[in-house]
Amino acid sequence: MSLTREDVKRLADLARLELSDEEAARAEKELDAVLGYVDRLTKIPTEGVEPQTMPARAEGWRSDDAFECDDLTHELLLSNFPERKGDLLHVPAVFTAPKK
Amino acid sequence: MKPLNELTLVEASSALVNGEITSAELTKACLDAIRAKDGAIHAFLDVYEEEAMEAAKRSDIRREDGGVIGDLDGIPIALKDNILYQGKRATAGSKMLANHIAASHATVTQKLIEQGAVILGKTNLDEFAMGSSTEHSAYGPTLHPRDPNRVPGGSSGGSAAAVAAHMCIAALGSDTGGSIRQPASFCGIVGLKPTYGRVSRSGLIAMASSLDQIGPMTKTVEDAAILVKAIVGHDGMDQTTVEAEPIEESWTQDLKGIRIGLPREAWKTKGMSDEVRDKVTEAVRVLESLGAEIKEIDLPYADEALAVYYLVMPCEVSANLARFDGMRFGVRKENLPLFETYAASRAEGLGAEVRRRILLGTYALSKGYFDAYYLQAKKVQTLIRRAYEAAFRDVDAILTPTAPTTAWKIGEKSNDPLAMYLEDIFTVGANVSGLPAISVPCGDVAGLPVGMHLLAPWFEEAKLLEISQAYEATEK
Repeated sequence: MSLTREDVKRLADLARLELSDEEAARAEKELDAVLGYVDRLTKIPTEGVEPQTMPARAEGWRSDDAFECDDLTHELLLSNFPERKGDLLHVPAVFTAPKK
Repeated sequence: MKPLNELTLVEASSALVNGEITSAELTKACLDAIRAKDGAIHAFLDVYEEEAMEAAKRSDIRREDGGVIGDLDGIPIALKDNILYQGKRATAGSKMLANHIAASHATVTQKLIEQGAVILGKTNLDEFAMGSSTEHSAYGPTLHPRDPNRVPGGSSGGSAAAVAAHMCIAALGSDTGGSIRQPASFCGIVGLKPTYGRVSRSGLIAMASSLDQIGPMTKTVEDAAILVKAIVGHDGMDQTTVEAEPIEESWTQDLKGIRIGLPREAWKTKGMSDEVRDKVTEAVRVLESLGAEIKEIDLPYADEALAVYYLVMPCEVSANLARFDGMRFGVRKENLPLFETYAASRAEGLGAEVRRRILLGTYALSKGYFDAYYLQAKKVQTLIRRAYEAAFRDVDAILTPTAPTTAWKIGEKSNDPLAMYLEDIFTVGANVSGLPAISVPCGDVAGLPVGMHLLAPWFEEAKLLEISQAYEATEK
């Protein structure tokens, strides 16, 4: 399996990664080498083999509960916002006229 | 007595108990060592000088008052900088998190603090723990304590170098494919990766969640036993943790009845240096002389673990690192519209090795390739696990070198990612199967340390520690 430059660009788009032409050329070469290596797995017969789920015994799922946090934790969380307005996270507008 | 910073955890702890030293003296000795040596080695990203001295003094007061908490009370410990310490920067070695302040403690940090440990600071790592040399840190490489032209291994290279150069008494690292054990091997210290599920990863910045595990990096096996027991246990914040049987080792110099397997294929690995093979073979002879039964074993599919790892890991990386999009934390490079802001922020904040793995994972998870790559890797993972289950019916532990070579020169593998990945050949099996594993120093080649790697069945860390300690005692 060999990657084309277009494949790399598409992957970068899917992964939301800006890549320069030079970076894309390098990625193409490096990913090809790794894929060449991992390709050995495709030759292993795995019919009827279940995919591994958890590497060890796990005890169910963590319930997705909201919990109170203290003022310090709260303030530290907010302090990491790239842009903050009061206690709110400021994000770029979702709907804008496209550049291109 | 040797300089205080050179004490092992066991020695320091007993000197504290006997009133020969104070934690303030011990902590100051470590901070002095950091000041004297770390300009050259660059093991630390941040040092908490004031807080550490305050914590040490609190420990001394507890001791005076008879309220000492345990073995770790007053012991200076370093944390890899992907482990959160509340109110302090947590960079994960990435520019993306250069100014990221941890909102809470990791569970392991909390446990250490509750047991009285003195947190000295944060150690360098390959960005988001991705790498085997610590060259992939956005903050510059850590250098090998014995040779400034060589790497200390990685990704927990900062912790390994800090322990080896006696800038702390012990440290924590994290291990996703060998990131505790390989740098331990390169730097000549002990590194233990516990069974998956032993130690909570709450507050560990995630790399590949089905593989990540936190563990101790120490000067001796006994030190590793103390430190690992301090951090294990079920945690409601990490659903993969289990309430497992406690680690209860009993030190012995008699290994009669212990069966140690040498996997035939692994020992034939291309790229293993002859000197490393010879050194580890000598260690095997020592174990045999202590009464262990040594036998060659077949471990089918084990050499596929590396390929499984280099598919499963990047897939999880691509998912886990999707959160670094410049919105809620990290670098935001506004470049409207939204898509371009994501892409530009990620390009700005994430380094080359991280981006490479994200692209690889995105590829293996994308439509048309998912079955051939990710799903196939997960099936082969099952076969590997079964092979270990079968092997452990005949042996108590499996032994190989930790790494095929000793520490390499800086820059030697940075332009050849596959060459660096192949260095993980002996360590990834433990992560792919969730097994506990340890690297123990077994001598030097041309002045550089070699590590012996032992794997034991799930939750049998005690066995690893006992065999390792029996070996270590003969080296003293």
